[in-house]
Amino acid sequence: MSEDAAGTGLHTEDMTLNVGPQHPSTHGVLRFVVKTDGEVINEAIPDVGYLHRSIEKIGEKCTWHGYVPYTDRADYLAAMFANQGFCMAAERLGDVEVPPRGEYCRVIACELNRVASHLIAVGTFGQDIGAITPFLHALRERESINDLMEEICGARLTYNYLRIGGVGYDIKPETCARITAFLDHFEPIVDEYNRLLSYNKIFIERLANVAVISKEDALQYNLVGPNLRASGVQWDIRRDIPYSVYPELDFEVPVGRGERGTLGDSYDRYYVRIRELMESCKILRQCLDKMPDGPAVAKVARKFKPPAGETYVRIEAPRGDMGYYVVSDGSEYPYRVRIRTGSFTAMSIIDKISPGIMVADLIALIASLDVDAPEIDR
Amino acid sequence: MNGIIEYCQNVRDTVRSIFEGMTITFSHFVRKPSTVQYPDRIAQQVQETLPLRYRGILEVDMDICTGCLACERVCPINCIAIGIEMNAETKQRDFTLFDIDICKCMYCGLCMEACPTGSIRHTQEFEGACNNPAGLVRHFITEKVPLYKPKKGGETEPRMIQKVDIGKTYMDEIAEPEN
Repeated sequence: MSEDAAGTGLHTEDMTLNVGPQHPSTHGVLRFVVKTDGEVINEAIPDVGYLHRSIEKIGEKCTWHGYVPYTDRADYLAAMFANQGFCMAAERLGDVEVPPRGEYCRVIACELNRVASHLIAVGTFGQDIGAITPFLHALRERESINDLMEEICGARLTYNYLRIGGVGYDIKPETCARITAFLDHFEPIVDEYNRLLSYNKIFIERLANVAVISKEDALQYNLVGPNLRASGVQWDIRRDIPYSVYPELDFEVPVGRGERGTLGDSYDRYYVRIRELMESCKILRQCLDKMPDGPAVAKVARKFKPPAGETYVRIEAPRGDMGYYVVSDGSEYPYRVRIRTGSFTAMSIIDKISPGIMVADLIALIASLDVDAPEIDR
Repeated sequence: MNGIIEYCQNVRDTVRSIFEGMTITFSHFVRKPSTVQYPDRIAQQVQETLPLRYRGILEVDMDICTGCLACERVCPINCIAIGIEMNAETKQRDFTLFDIDICKCMYCGLCMEACPTGSIRHTQEFEGACNNPAGLVRHFITEKVPLYKPKKGGETEPRMIQKVDIGKTYMDEIAEPEN
């Protein structure tokens, strides 16, 4: 595109820039082709697929039990949720009942994982904007969660904790005590994050009224999870399509309020996550109180062969609605596994929102959507 | 005039929030550091502080391995290779091969759950760096050894009792939810 700048007779044209694939603020291997007019973006097209590992195809080659560790790799920051989605799908197909203690163990592990994932989201948000200190503060707390996870399931990142029919190992009373101690320590720390980052004038100025996603756009472009809630839509799978033991628990669904600017701006998307941290702590405390005794895993055959059929399971992962469409043909292997993730749908809106914003604000937009490259491509 | 007041307020708020942030940063000068100087200046080896459930590098106790091949079958990436052949002299089956490829292993822990005697287990060891990729394949068989057969009525030999007990303790830790 070329045109004469008004009145001067000088020749101008758009500049095409590459953001990524190896850019620190793209959260993984992710590329944007950006057309800019000076500092203002005319078009930003996401180019995904650099991290495609064909996890879905691997599902057709693994046994039902053997595929669970692979689902960890779908989203490395929230592996527990990917585990849960697949296990729930398999249980629904095979008609397996999970014992109550197993369900509580699952929710405790998942909510701990949600806290860890949101800490990364909040920390890297600060880092992308230019504040490196909060990132280190967030990672410090995440390390404590990793230590707890190590005690619960034996791994720090790729948990493989959930099994079809329950959980791999029971959560011991001493681990429960350590989780309570962590929560006592962690809840005041959230206020520290707020003082350090959320209420910082520079941070607010950088994010308020930037990259506003309206309620209608958010719904039309199929945003999910915290990104959708930040635009003012009350939607949470845990509450609206309940699964596991969430109906028994009392928690709120934080929704964006446009408190520092417009509803649905980058600051709202950030602050919804901070408030979700507190809600997760609330859920964790309730679960630890209510945990029933009994077995944590149901008896499931080693050679698990669910009857032929298909199912679609939705769970609320930290990056929104995670869906598993699983087809069984009655054999030892799944016939088809399809994973639907929140990050992928979040990518589509960048094309819509980016025209007219500054290059630096594009980084804020990507950071605020909390996309995770491995989860986009799977 | 309004513009000037707003400008001054912005400057004041910015300075205030920087000061607020700095109070937290400076408070860390008097807090206990949460980092350690790995690997040299640590009071205790990291391996010793890890919980029993930690899934580190796999090891196999060949003395209590029954050769049932459950671990080989359950492994999603086939990183365990087991060879068994009939010994014509003793009329018993012998192990000829038991290799675990640490490069391939994804530490999922499915093999140890399948093991009936608790002979294959994850250790607390995680430092696997070596100069040669071939060193990452762990060979547990150097010469042919017969398969372990659990004796009816329990073990009698003290050495074997100890080994079986270690396997049982490990299995209890894993198999706890079914209790």
